[in-house]
Amino acid sequence: MISNFKLGDLFQQEFIVSEEIVNKFIGVSKDKNPLHVNDDFAKEKGFKSRVIQGNLQNCFISYFIGECLPSKHVMILSQTIKYKNPVFLNDTLSLNVKISGIFSSVGVIEFNYNFKNHLGQIISNGKINIKSIL
Amino acid sequence: MMNRTDVFNKVQEDFREVLEDEELIIIEDYNSEDIDDWDSLTHIMLVVEIEKTFNMRFLSSEISNWKDIGAMITAIESK
Repeated sequence: MISNFKLGDLFQQEFIVSEEIVNKFIGVSKDKNPLHVNDDFAKEKGFKSRVIQGNLQNCFISYFIGECLPSKHVMILSQTIKYKNPVFLNDTLSLNVKISGIFSSVGVIEFNYNFKNHLGQIISNGKINIKSIL
Repeated sequence: MMNRTDVFNKVQEDFREVLEDEELIIIEDYNSEDIDDWDSLTHIMLVVEIEKTFNMRFLSSEISNWKDIGAMITAIESK
């Protein structure tokens, strides 16, 4: 499985933060903090409209690791995320991923990633470690 | 060239980082039964951290011979 990956390999995946997706996320997470569901409240806090829950990006990472890599025989060992800018409804996010380390002895691949919005702003970044389960 | 104490100290830092315990003190005779949270998954992350720290790669067969932290340090020194 590790042979499917090379140091420096790049991946990209786009996601649209649609109302349907956000509502499903709220349904699962139960996070209805007014910052996330109330435009007026968000504007009072200095945002242009309600701010989408940052952890929705972790769902996108889950999809990317589980469905978009060259191998399905993987599981996530660890994941970090640092938020840099807010996400708003109907933003298009691109997930940009680079393989930063391959550790064949323990079947681990390390990725650096960031999310950018359609304006090119970095929304978040972090690291993901996955393990081969072949 | 790092001596064994240097290697030991760096390995201890890796243990502290992976196990999220800044106070952790390791001893060469210790194995996974002696340190809380050193389980099969954190062991994998320890190997990853050690390979990054020392910029070296091991074979899975080499790792399986690590019976304790001392064996880990000897393997690093011998690379």
